Amino acid sequence: MAGTSENAVGHGAESRRGFLKILTVATGAVGAAAIAWPFIDALGPDADGTAAAHLIVNIAGIPENTAITVTWDGLPVYIRKLTAQQTADTQAVVTSTLVDPADFTDRVKPGYESFVVVVGLNTGAPCALEGNAPADPRGPFDGWLSPCDGSVYDPLGRVRGGPATKNLAIPRFKFINDAQIQFG
Amino acid sequence: MSTDVKKSWLASRLPCPAKESGHCAPTMERGRRYGATLPTLISATVLFLLASGLVQAVYYNPAHGFDSIQFILRDVNSGWLIHAFHVTGATMLFAAVYALLFRDIYRRAYKAPGELVWLLRVKLYALLLLVGWLGYALSDGAVSYWSLTGAANAATGLSGVAGAVGRWFFGGPNGAGTVARLEVFHAVLALTVLVTLGAQRCAARALARQAPAPKNPVSCHPYYTAQTFAALSVFALIFAVLVFFAPHFGLNHLNTAASDTLVVPAVLSPPWYLSPVSAVAGVFATAGGGIFGVVAMLAVLAALPWLDRSGTSNKRGKLYRLLIGLLLLDVIGLGWSVSDPACTAAGSLTLVFTIWYFFHFLVLTPLVTALEAE
Amino acid sequence: MRRIFAPILAVGLLFGAAAQAEDTLSPLHWQSQGSFGSYDKAAVQRGFLVYQTVCASCHSANALHYRDLEALGFTPDQVAGIASSVKLADGSPATLNDVFKAPGVGAAAFGGALPPDLSNIETSRPHGLHYIYGLLTGYAAAPASVTLLPGRFYNTAYPGNQIAMPQPLKGNEVTYADGTAATLPQEAADVSEFLAWSADPNLNARHEVGLRAVLFLLFLSIIAIATKRKIWRETV
Repeated sequence: MAGTSENAVGHGAESRRGFLKILTVATGAVGAAAIAWPFIDALGPDADGTAAAHLIVNIAGIPENTAITVTWDGLPVYIRKLTAQQTADTQAVVTSTLVDPADFTDRVKPGYESFVVVVGLNTGAPCALEGNAPADPRGPFDGWLSPCDGSVYDPLGRVRGGPATKNLAIPRFKFINDAQIQFG
Repeated sequence: MSTDVKKSWLASRLPCPAKESGHCAPTMERGRRYGATLPTLISATVLFLLASGLVQAVYYNPAHGFDSIQFILRDVNSGWLIHAFHVTGATMLFAAVYALLFRDIYRRAYKAPGELVWLLRVKLYALLLLVGWLGYALSDGAVSYWSLTGAANAATGLSGVAGAVGRWFFGGPNGAGTVARLEVFHAVLALTVLVTLGAQRCAARALARQAPAPKNPVSCHPYYTAQTFAALSVFALIFAVLVFFAPHFGLNHLNTAASDTLVVPAVLSPPWYLSPVSAVAGVFATAGGGIFGVVAMLAVLAALPWLDRSGTSNKRGKLYRLLIGLLLLDVIGLGWSVSDPACTAAGSLTLVFTIWYFFHFLVLTPLVTALEAE
Repeated sequence: MRRIFAPILAVGLLFGAAAQAEDTLSPLHWQSQGSFGSYDKAAVQRGFLVYQTVCASCHSANALHYRDLEALGFTPDQVAGIASSVKLADGSPATLNDVFKAPGVGAAAFGGALPPDLSNIETSRPHGLHYIYGLLTGYAAAPASVTLLPGRFYNTAYPGNQIAMPQPLKGNEVTYADGTAATLPQEAADVSEFLAWSADPNLNARHEVGLRAVLFLLFLSIIAIATKRKIWRETV
């Protein structure tokens, strides 16, 4: 009788001490993890890096028939404002005749049809394109011309001739208001 | 069975000498006080400072020191916390180092055969003063800019060997490239602190092994690991209170403004842990005198094992304890006297405190210890 | 506690919808003061309006970006709108990632000394909150014993009492959207709170995380000391 109750007491004390130790070690581990987290977090992208990844560009000042160049994600991006004539002409093109078929609505954002945003790299032989300023050589379609392999593009960045077979890439972007677009 | 196989696979390929010799001797005496955990707390804090310093170094730009620190505080995720860790960690580190030094002075732990441990601890303190001052200079604030300019210009203007060393260290008067080189020195000297800590641990362990075997030995784990863990928890609690609720504790508020070459702030007090040394340096009129004062201050501290004239007696009499209490007040007074230059009475007390400091070590310590030796 | 907090907050906000400002003026206090303070976002927004209208024409705030304003309770669209209403030196509207526009004028235009950058002004002055408030409300006529230097104005809070800045606030420089009366003390208190936020934008997070961390470490310390004592008692 006495023996079993002594054993019972002994077991109780041991499990209590074991519980306290386990609780202490576990709490310490939680504390260590909580302290380690800020170090890991601080090495993640900072606000400037995030800002560069979500670059905002002012487009209100772009004159018609001209394009500006910005750098985003390491790539040159051309932002061109179309004239009404260019918009009408490009809408009139039959898409099935294109080398890389793409509709007018695929190339511009709804509500902002006069702006074209494309990555300014030739999809054939890699090089930059000419045609941002009105006076630049633009090729027969009034878009862009690649000086290294002679590929030509229309104002929407669709390939219309030359060795290149794909349209100019369109980066991820959105209009945050009438005057600014945000990439990423 | 499988864990035994695993252990021997690893153990046969990477035998760990520390585990063999037992970094924590399995036969230790009981009842060691919490004060004995101070070296572990210091090591943990140094590692913590290294980690937070490295993360900050990713973003720090020595050409625009203040602006890059603002960037860390505002635009880096948890950057404010990492920076507070580093700044408050320095405060906690110095608190622990001062506590360790005073504890060793009080317990006369510097006596033979413990002289090497003591010398290594004084060296650690001296190194940390330099690392701390370099970190202060890196903050590129309105006050630290003038501390850096004063030190760099004075050091490069010295004559002879001292001037050559000064010019080598600073690369010339405070200019465009000074902070960049000091950042590298800050990191390199911090690693030297780690090495000194390691040497100090080795010496302390060797000292412990020389002590007579205890009557009722106890194993380090869990007996002393529990004590160290408890000490770390309380240390971390104090640290957290300072980090989150008093991030500028002991620091000059004026230093949160950007450095300005045209404006000298009204109060040029350094961080609290640098103020006793800054006070002694300021007592001397010339830059060379200031350097001499700091070196002398550290030298008398290091010479303590030989200034103590008590021979083999370990008695700590009332007079000695009074002396240590006065030393503590004296060091606190030294620091306080440079914290507010507007208080003119405090300024004249700096000389008194400095004289008492040297008087304590050079005159009173040999006298009192010889007197009280049995 | 949390279960009753939300309905109370909802009721409070109902009444607060047609709000006047929480009274910071009698007695003079700010919600961000003290160990558990947090920023009154409405006050900081009002303070930003005062800053933008009055202070930004002469003072820079080089550590602030327009994107930082999202922490004040503005939506990203609102912040983009605030940024684009600012015309940078080259005429283009500012974007979210631009630094707060600096006046762009040299020190000569201000009589030799540039107005200080306001990003950290409140941590770099002793008792910054009260100091800024006192400075803005401390303009007075110089007493007979004081001779004002040329180009200086008398201010009770400024060290030396002669400040080169003409009185920036007189009351009603702005109209608050939430209907608060834009008296001089109210504007001064609001812009002080804004500058407090500017100097220490992480205060809210610091106090929140800090309370949890301290309570956690208190608990950990207690059980760690208890474990140590138990082990020491029970080691044979």
